[in-house]
Amino acid sequence: MTILLQVLSTGVGLAGYYALIAVGFALIFGTLRIFHVAHGTVFMIAGYAFFSLHRLLGVNVFASAVVGVFCAVVAGLAIDKIVYGPVLRRGGGMFAVFIASLGAALIVEAGFLAWSKGVVSVARTGMLDTFIVGGVAFRAFDFVIFAFVAAAFGALYLWLHRTSTGLEVRGLTDNADLAAVVGVNVRRTRYAIFLIASALAGLAGVLVAYDTGLEPSIGFKMLFIGVVAVILGGVRNILLGTVVGATCLGVLTAFAGFLFPEWNSFTIFLIMIVLIIIRPQGILG
Amino acid sequence: MTLRNNGLYIDRLSMNFGGVVVFEDISIEAPSSKVTACIGPNGAGKTTIINIVCGVFPPRTGKVYIDGVQLSGVRPFNTVRYGLCRSFQDVRIFPSLTAIENVLVAMPNQGGESLSGLFLPGGWRQERANRERARHLLQAVALESAAERAAGELPFGQQKLLSLVRAIATGARVLLLDEPAAGLESDLIPHVVDLIRSLVKAEGRATFLVEHNIELVRQVADQICVLQAGRIIASGDVQRVLDDQTVIREYLGQVYNV
Amino acid sequence: MEHLLYIGTLIAVWTIVALAANLVIGYTGMMSMGQAAYLGVGAYVTATLNILLGVNFYLALLIGSIIAAVVGAITLLPLLRIGGFYFALATLGINFVFFDIFHNLAPRVEGSEGLYGLQLPDLLASSAPRFATTVAVAIACAMLCQAVVTSPLGRALRATRDRPDALAALGKDPRRYQVLIWTFAAGLTGLAGGLYAATLFYIDPTLFTLDASILVLVYIGVGGLASTTGSVLGVILLIAFNESLRFLGLPSQFVGPFQQAIYGLLLILLMIFRRRGLVGKYDFTE
Repeated sequence: MTILLQVLSTGVGLAGYYALIAVGFALIFGTLRIFHVAHGTVFMIAGYAFFSLHRLLGVNVFASAVVGVFCAVVAGLAIDKIVYGPVLRRGGGMFAVFIASLGAALIVEAGFLAWSKGVVSVARTGMLDTFIVGGVAFRAFDFVIFAFVAAAFGALYLWLHRTSTGLEVRGLTDNADLAAVVGVNVRRTRYAIFLIASALAGLAGVLVAYDTGLEPSIGFKMLFIGVVAVILGGVRNILLGTVVGATCLGVLTAFAGFLFPEWNSFTIFLIMIVLIIIRPQGILG
Repeated sequence: MTLRNNGLYIDRLSMNFGGVVVFEDISIEAPSSKVTACIGPNGAGKTTIINIVCGVFPPRTGKVYIDGVQLSGVRPFNTVRYGLCRSFQDVRIFPSLTAIENVLVAMPNQGGESLSGLFLPGGWRQERANRERARHLLQAVALESAAERAAGELPFGQQKLLSLVRAIATGARVLLLDEPAAGLESDLIPHVVDLIRSLVKAEGRATFLVEHNIELVRQVADQICVLQAGRIIASGDVQRVLDDQTVIREYLGQVYNV
Repeated sequence: MEHLLYIGTLIAVWTIVALAANLVIGYTGMMSMGQAAYLGVGAYVTATLNILLGVNFYLALLIGSIIAAVVGAITLLPLLRIGGFYFALATLGINFVFFDIFHNLAPRVEGSEGLYGLQLPDLLASSAPRFATTVAVAIACAMLCQAVVTSPLGRALRATRDRPDALAALGKDPRRYQVLIWTFAAGLTGLAGGLYAATLFYIDPTLFTLDASILVLVYIGVGGLASTTGSVLGVILLIAFNESLRFLGLPSQFVGPFQQAIYGLLLILLMIFRRRGLVGKYDFTE
């Protein structure tokens, strides 16, 4: 029983990261129909920036974190402007954008591979106190993650439901064509979407860099976990659906990691494939 | 109009979408070697008739017969097996295939469409024969000169003609044509007329077409029915129906400035 | 010279993979992002039969190819009902699923990650005959693919790509053609896998990942979609380019990343400026 709770607690801990990435991804895909593979790369940029500043240059944690998130935002907006813009303008469809996104991700990942000089992981930069309650180990940091995630999503919720841009974003989720006709300012909304999504991914990047450390391929891995979370939760309800999806996935991967430790990728992607086949619109779709 | 053993026979069809009744208890006969036209205002349900016959959705009540055999289990992808083929209002030709390839791909029973067929000489002979026939069909609509052009590059009117020729190439005994003249420039309409007269009637096929273009109907149809407000308000001989006062009042008055 | 023969053999092997992938992606419009899985199946089946069971290499090659075709069919069938983009996503997932399968279930030589020790026949045992044989096989495959493409089957494939619904309305089930060509392509890819194992002497799961599938896409994307010449051209150009990087004098740990960055850049440029590739005949606008 305690093992069950332990696995559960690990799962919920993971869910926080997955949710941050997944919500950003869902925001972009659900409104603009762009499969932003490079979202994982944005996440990494934040993490590496944070690591460089805090660990290599000794800048304090919070300033490094802020700069990390800022870098992520700049990267996300830049990719949209430099890569997706031209592809779309020249008649590329969803698929062409996807391939271009893949290209961008490959380039940035190559940069990290070169920079790390082949060294695979970035040493962790933070402490991980644990304390035991009823035989189950909890990490102090998990609460930190939870706090940040809750704050971020709380802010996102307010933004989606209380601001005019947020309203436009929700309109786009429902019907992008109609939204354009009705006069939603698609360009401004687009900037807002990429900004917020990238900021969330950046936050995740900073947290992961602090917590478990980074390696060049983590961008892709996190991205696809985010994708599965979105498919699980459905694209219709960006916040709730994705959080539900991420939590389920976090728990599922924790169990899979516990029961079949060598089959992590297999499990996650098999789930993804099965979901795509039977219910691409997700649990809440 | 009691020939029920050849051609298409629609028997007391009723259809509704949710609470909206599209049509109620309509019966239409489209015998072989004859062209049966169905006219009526937009939204009267003419395309729905074709959709039902082709198995896109089932009717609420009613039956459909081809050559005396009741149709069941027909779905949009196996209509040809039942001897039926339809054309679409929006053309749906294969844009990257050439015009002649569009016609060729429609022809049934091609040995060359399997891996084993690649190596058997019979396949190549059949392909030559098919090419001849495809050229002949294209000639009928003056498209022979465009045979090697990509169908996507052809103007809409020619694409429309191509789609009609393609439906004919399947060899189906019953053709359902959905507004074959829609969007065609008037100088192309005689091609449609020729096509239907020479290739379809001469080969004994039954043609059921829905149309708005009364001129085309006049030139090509042997019999006509008028669908309005969910019912057939007139049917029979073309001239008689078109002169009918009710028909003129209800429908033609809107179409013609007579 | 040894090295040139080796590169030439690799070009021949990848040409077969590219030809098969182009049949499926360029001619039939099925975006497959998981071709590496079938390459791996072919490689592992061939290698396992030959090394562990002493099966004659040619026979092992044949069986590897057949098994890869069967695996191809099995992995396709559940995906047939899904359309365009989600289909691509699912095939992408296949890479990871098979990687774990290779990693956990495939045999390996004690103490290493991979498998080696092939007993190769004379025509494949040393580098010069191996080069000649693989090139001969590649040429045969190219001729076979060209025959498929110019036949009525090729026409039906392109119709499937353009408008499967219209093809169905003409009485031909597009799924039949999709399954046929996918299985055929998986078989060809499996054949290439066996030859790949013979060329490398050593195989391990890291050869058959998403990276390899993307590489195939880059080859045909650059060379040209729906073009036999394009498949060959793309492979030759890119592998030659790759090799030329060695002369740039980059420190060795930068060569890999540099290649990857170039591939990424190529993908982006292709999507912006020339989606059909160099000599391709299909521009996807989806």
